[in-house]
Amino acid sequence: MLSFIKKMSHRQLVFYIFIALCFVSSVLFVHYNYSFYERPIAKVIETKLKDSSETTDMHGNKDRLYSQQIVAEIKNGEEKGQLIELKNEYTASGIFDQKYYPGTELFVYINDSPQDTTTLTGSIQDVKRDKYVIIVAWIFIFILLIVGSKQGLLSIISLAVNALILSYALDIYLKTSGTSLLWICAVSVILFTVISLLLVNGRNEKTYAAIIATLLGTFLSLLITYFVMQLTAEKGLRYEEMQFITRPYKVVFMAGLFIGSLGAVMDVAITMSSSIFGLYEKNNNISVKALKASGLEIGKDIMGTMTNILFFAYISGSIPMLLLYFKNNSPLMFTLSMNLSLELARAMAGGIGIVLTIPLGLYISIFFINRKGVKS
Amino acid sequence: MNVLMWLGTILLILMILIGGKNGARSFFALFFNFIVLLITILILTIPKADPIIFTLIASTFISCINLFYINEVNSKTIPAFVSSIMTIVILLLFIVMMTEKAMIQGFGIEELEELGMFSLEIGVDFVKIAASVIIMSTIGAITDTAMAISSPMREALHHHPDISRKDLFTFGISIGRDILGTSANTLFFAFFGSYLALLILFKDLTYSFGEIINSKIFSSEIITILCAGIGVALIIPITAWITAYFFKSKRGEKILKSENRT
Repeated sequence: MLSFIKKMSHRQLVFYIFIALCFVSSVLFVHYNYSFYERPIAKVIETKLKDSSETTDMHGNKDRLYSQQIVAEIKNGEEKGQLIELKNEYTASGIFDQKYYPGTELFVYINDSPQDTTTLTGSIQDVKRDKYVIIVAWIFIFILLIVGSKQGLLSIISLAVNALILSYALDIYLKTSGTSLLWICAVSVILFTVISLLLVNGRNEKTYAAIIATLLGTFLSLLITYFVMQLTAEKGLRYEEMQFITRPYKVVFMAGLFIGSLGAVMDVAITMSSSIFGLYEKNNNISVKALKASGLEIGKDIMGTMTNILFFAYISGSIPMLLLYFKNNSPLMFTLSMNLSLELARAMAGGIGIVLTIPLGLYISIFFINRKGVKS
Repeated sequence: MNVLMWLGTILLILMILIGGKNGARSFFALFFNFIVLLITILILTIPKADPIIFTLIASTFISCINLFYINEVNSKTIPAFVSSIMTIVILLLFIVMMTEKAMIQGFGIEELEELGMFSLEIGVDFVKIAASVIIMSTIGAITDTAMAISSPMREALHHHPDISRKDLFTFGISIGRDILGTSANTLFFAFFGSYLALLILFKDLTYSFGEIINSKIFSSEIITILCAGIGVALIIPITAWITAYFFKSKRGEKILKSENRT
């Protein structure tokens, strides 16, 4: 351990100490931040199972219904330190409810009660989850730093910066009612691409070629999708099940499609340009024909896996909803078209972007290399 | 023809144009994966089918399709397959623990209204389903990264047959570091795209920061993104170690020898 510390440079040491301090202080903060919340928080002290019964719904699904008596201690506000009695009903499947254990922290509503009673009563509103979000975030940061060292740090920064840009872009969209979400997304996409690729790959011609290929690939795939949607009058797309929709759904769908495929397209673009430039740097006299052949070979290898990544990232989110439909005796095809049409469209549009970026990345890199060849 | 068929046809044509036989194979891999996923979901509707066990079985099938069907069984795909399964098991244990603690299973309050017509007492353990969702959304990236590391390690061994196990491992890690950023980015943006409607909802409802971070939907999305990131980082040392071990083991050397001959 000591020799490990001695080996580190001064700057690294400062960085690690800084990270450790952030970790300790943020974990301490989320464990004792009750007073920062206006909603009353109660920590469960004792639970007692009062009742449990077998249920069968109209589709013949068997489940168990439980009822729990909870004593909890109020952690903030005027009633701090007092005990509160709560009741919790939950099912074994736990779609909207769950069992609580001693130590669980809950947001509660406190009933108005006469002054003389010693214990309060109330109802449970939600679980306090900030602790776990922070803990998972730190595990993520540590694993990325340990495995990826500098590259890990850069991907954490790129995630944070991109999330901030997205949040800011949405703020602009919601505040200025006139501007279209698609235009705002187009500007954000350019920012995302330039920032992420510069962060991951540094300032060089490889990166510039990848940026151009990414932007062309994404816009082209969006254009194709838009064209297909116009041509078929959006037949087969079921927007009904699009969740959390408070805005014109079609624009939100297109914007999501735009941003969603961007990461995969960037990955393909940078792989293409890095390998083409790599081949050229190894052998300056390599012919354009040989470059094209090797480039296409690399493209073939990555095309399948990249479309797969997008496919799983999109489709998996629908698993709970599909289960709920099936368990409620919905017909197979109806369930699939209701829940998967948008996800499948997104995955395929992203796939089109990925495949198009392979030749785009190839030719743009070759263009850059040719220009360089003329210069030198 | 509807939108999906058009997009599917365009994708297939482009894949064949650019990738030839490999392209067609990639497209069918996508189709097979969809079938595996669908069958898994249908199995999960059977009472007493444990979602964790069936997620693991489905992951094995999907890894087989992504590695052995798209590429073929060889000295690169075998270690990639073993590493993918190992990473998935470790990640799964971690995710089950976190979903249970953070109680992010099922649906959020914001969705209660639209689910009114459904019976919610369906007898499926949604904590395990939530874990299964996170694993399934990362599996594509996990197998891809595993392959992207084991393949150049094979090349390195080919050019320097005397390379030591430790050097091979270090080489694998350095390859992994180079692709970590872009793999993580691919997943992050895919999730950003999917959650766009949700982000707009939170902004529209003017939730306070405290309400957002504690809400079930938002915290489950954040935990999904972070676990996906953990998955693509974790696969790097595991693949580098297993591949290095495999190439320098007796069985591995046997397979490598038979490949060199052909």
